[in-house]
Amino acid sequence: MMMIMSASSAVQRFPMPEFETNYSHPDTLLPSPRSEIMLWVDVAVLVIALSLVSWMVIKKRSRRMIFYTSLFSLAYFGFYREGCVCSIGAIQNVALAIVHPGYVIPVTALLFFLLPLFFTLFFGRTFCAGVCPFGALQDLVSFSPQKMGTALKSILGLLPYLYLAFAVLFAYTGTDFIICRYDPFVGFFRFNASFGMFIFGGIILLSGVFIARPYCRFLCPYGVILNLFSRISFRHIAITPSKCIDCRLCEDSCPYEAINFPVHAKTGTVNGKVRKKFIVSVIVIPALVVITGFLGSRLNETFATVNPRVALANDISNPEIMKPGSETRAIKAFRSSGRPASEIIAEADAITDKFRTGGWLLGGFIGLVTGLTISSAFSVRYRKEYTPDKGECFSCARCTDYCPVKS
Amino acid sequence: MKKISEKPAKYLKVLQNTALITGIFAVLLSVMIIISFVQLKRSDPLNSKALIILNERLSANPADTQLRNEIRELDLMARKAYFTSHWQVRTGGILLFISVLVVIACYQAAGMMAPVIPSMPSSSGNDFFRIKGKKRFSVAIAGGLIILIAATMAFMPAFRLGGNGNVDQGKTTGLTTPATPTDTVLATTGTAMDTTAIPADTISSGYADISELKQNFPAFRGYAGNGISFQKNVPVKWNGKTGQNVLWKKKVPLPGYNSPVIWNDKIYLTGSDGKRNEVYCFDLNSGKIEWTTKIGSPQSLPKVNKETGYCAPTVTTDGRRIYAIFANGDLAGLDLSGRILWTKSMGMPNNHYGHSSSLIAWHDILIVQYDQSGNAFVAGFSGSTGREIWRTSRNVKVSWASPILITNKGRNEVVLAAEPFVAGYDPATGKELWKADCIGGEVGPSPAFANGVIFTINEYSKLTAVELSEKTVQLWEDSEYLSDVPSPVAFDKYLFVTTSYGTMVCYDAASGNKMWTEETGQSMYASPVYAGGNIYQLDQKGVMHIFKASGTYSVVSEPELGEGSFCTPAFANGKIIIRGDDHLFCIGK
Repeated sequence: MMMIMSASSAVQRFPMPEFETNYSHPDTLLPSPRSEIMLWVDVAVLVIALSLVSWMVIKKRSRRMIFYTSLFSLAYFGFYREGCVCSIGAIQNVALAIVHPGYVIPVTALLFFLLPLFFTLFFGRTFCAGVCPFGALQDLVSFSPQKMGTALKSILGLLPYLYLAFAVLFAYTGTDFIICRYDPFVGFFRFNASFGMFIFGGIILLSGVFIARPYCRFLCPYGVILNLFSRISFRHIAITPSKCIDCRLCEDSCPYEAINFPVHAKTGTVNGKVRKKFIVSVIVIPALVVITGFLGSRLNETFATVNPRVALANDISNPEIMKPGSETRAIKAFRSSGRPASEIIAEADAITDKFRTGGWLLGGFIGLVTGLTISSAFSVRYRKEYTPDKGECFSCARCTDYCPVKS
Repeated sequence: MKKISEKPAKYLKVLQNTALITGIFAVLLSVMIIISFVQLKRSDPLNSKALIILNERLSANPADTQLRNEIRELDLMARKAYFTSHWQVRTGGILLFISVLVVIACYQAAGMMAPVIPSMPSSSGNDFFRIKGKKRFSVAIAGGLIILIAATMAFMPAFRLGGNGNVDQGKTTGLTTPATPTDTVLATTGTAMDTTAIPADTISSGYADISELKQNFPAFRGYAGNGISFQKNVPVKWNGKTGQNVLWKKKVPLPGYNSPVIWNDKIYLTGSDGKRNEVYCFDLNSGKIEWTTKIGSPQSLPKVNKETGYCAPTVTTDGRRIYAIFANGDLAGLDLSGRILWTKSMGMPNNHYGHSSSLIAWHDILIVQYDQSGNAFVAGFSGSTGREIWRTSRNVKVSWASPILITNKGRNEVVLAAEPFVAGYDPATGKELWKADCIGGEVGPSPAFANGVIFTINEYSKLTAVELSEKTVQLWEDSEYLSDVPSPVAFDKYLFVTTSYGTMVCYDAASGNKMWTEETGQSMYASPVYAGGNIYQLDQKGVMHIFKASGTYSVVSEPELGEGSFCTPAFANGKIIIRGDDHLFCIGK
């Protein structure tokens, strides 16, 4: 939040020099939008890449093939397409389109959002494995991935849900597309990273040397949705192509720690106390949702300050800022528009109102996620084999190389 | 895990060393890029000290072409330096990209040469139940922390940004009310703010509509602050000593000279002893204190006159919220259940008797007249959030008068009086619409309005009638009977004036001719109110002088409260609420 708020101050443009001669300033050139046909080419490339990777994951079980495809994806979707349109950012377009009838989402953006979900539903997170340029970039620098402690991993695991909730809230209120604004890699793809984003992206990549795919695991909001879809995927990669021989060779193979170890019935038993706690945790969830929803709604004005219109209304209402000489450019621009202050304040009030509704949903969602995560940690599923955690697994196929069973 | 070499070890070594050296180079480049970034952030070529000094010199001597050229050269240098830094960052970025590519390529190649051979882990991390337990614990802690932070931010004012009010649907429509170009003259009722003046589409659930406001007594001197009550069946007989027609009598916890206001079956008023500022809600039917809300903790006290006290301003309501202000400048918005929606410090008023201007609400905009010494202003605040919507400076002396709302040629206006003028403002924007220099001194009485004429009065000044036509035109003035506290009330063809020393006077509003005078011999601070065909004038001893609102003095009754009072009564249907020195009285049948 602090980062969002601090960055909400506008970037200052460098003013043009003044000339006394008859020099005429050249017109500002803006890049022309990508042609319609090329947008469909992007969609076609996405479909082909998804199909190929899914085939490599499910049929070929080849880490190397997936790796080479991910290099292509990095080159095409990352450096050539400069990270846009991306499936992660498309969440915001979809959220805005759902609540704002005036906003028409481009079909290609919608497809970029839906296609990876569609493939995930059938084959697991093959998009993450070899199509997402963010994942590919992080995979490249994952030189020495280390295991993370359970506590840290569990706590950081809540971040993507928070990020998703805020991204949808800010899109819903027409405030900002924060996933795009705070995209840590797009500045690298475009060679124009701002100072803040250079540092942020650099930290993510550097930490990626020791923590495999930190953005994907602990920030990516799209990963939250993919995780859910992947859990019910029709065909998901398996570590062993046939029967697991319980050799334990794959135990350390996954840099994302997304392998479920066997849990034999004899390992431990679920006593009545644990069962009771589980039931209590499930019962508590609705209360938790209401409490966090209420808190979210109470924070509506704090959240709303991120909105530029609300910020402008706040500035206009602040006599210190409104003193002659200390006015911001936004205030000067607003004044020159001739609109009455009451108009922007009314607009700000309406936005703040939206944040209250959104705050309920955001808070409730976070409460639900926290509650479900805790109660799921009470549940025990006995299994005899090493299997990928279908939600967390990126389908990278590294584990298959470790399995001595080849057919 | 073990690594085995499938390629000559020397190639592997070369790759590893290359990766290491390039990696170090990449780190150094990153540091340099960060330094260049910081330099770029700090540099401001257009505002360098040297350029500013040279520009100042040039302003003094515009014909100095040599100086002009020097400035150009310096400007060029500064820009070059700036863009060179930009180039350095960009070039550094490309080099960094290449070096990172080399590191990655070397590392990946080395990895292919020495693939990891699976091996049996030394110990199994498969302690399923311990891991689950840790997960539960850490997520519970993290979740609890999130809730704690959110609760702190949600409930502690220091963490709140932009106020803490609830926002009601539709309230903002009231902010942009267009003036209706109909020349509505309120000749028949003589009251301000006719319903027809406000477009129906601007009335929303964010504030009460005109009919609701008229049914109640929402401000000092009633609806629109003009001294007119629209109540029927108003009692004319009671006796506070014997209890005749006194439905209840309750002690008010803290003192105050503000008057009660009524909304539906609730009465609102404030009390303060300087240490505590409180807003009270009494039940109209039982007199029970429904709630008490403490507003802030006064850190320092203003100097106040004992006849002003720490809470002279009367509260107001827009039917959805209650607004209160105290002598130390603490302003608050509360919902009808007493929950504080927002608070705001207006700053300690520079007012030698103590701030006493009562509040008034137009739609959901709370209007505050803050005529203090040195920095007088009137401001409009969003009722739901407390956000300041507009503020208009006023070049006036300190005043103690309260704003009133009028409809002037179909246009809603808020009218304020203070030396040297009475002025009308647009309540939506604060824009000054007109003013008339007609009043002087330390203005205490509020203006009155009827039939397009504004009446102002003040002790040691004069009583004036100003017609609001295309231009403000003074119709008449009089200096014989002047008031320094009670405000006049204009009804139908008459203007009723009460002096602080107890003389009641009736004027013909159009001509200024005195219709009658009546001396009571009692001091009066309460303002007269029209209700049910009569004028109600309370004196400081607690005697209510009730007389016909006509051109002939005709006493209806003079009931006694049995307790002194400085306050103006409020009227509910069939009931009168009077704040005595210590008690709140409900008079009714």
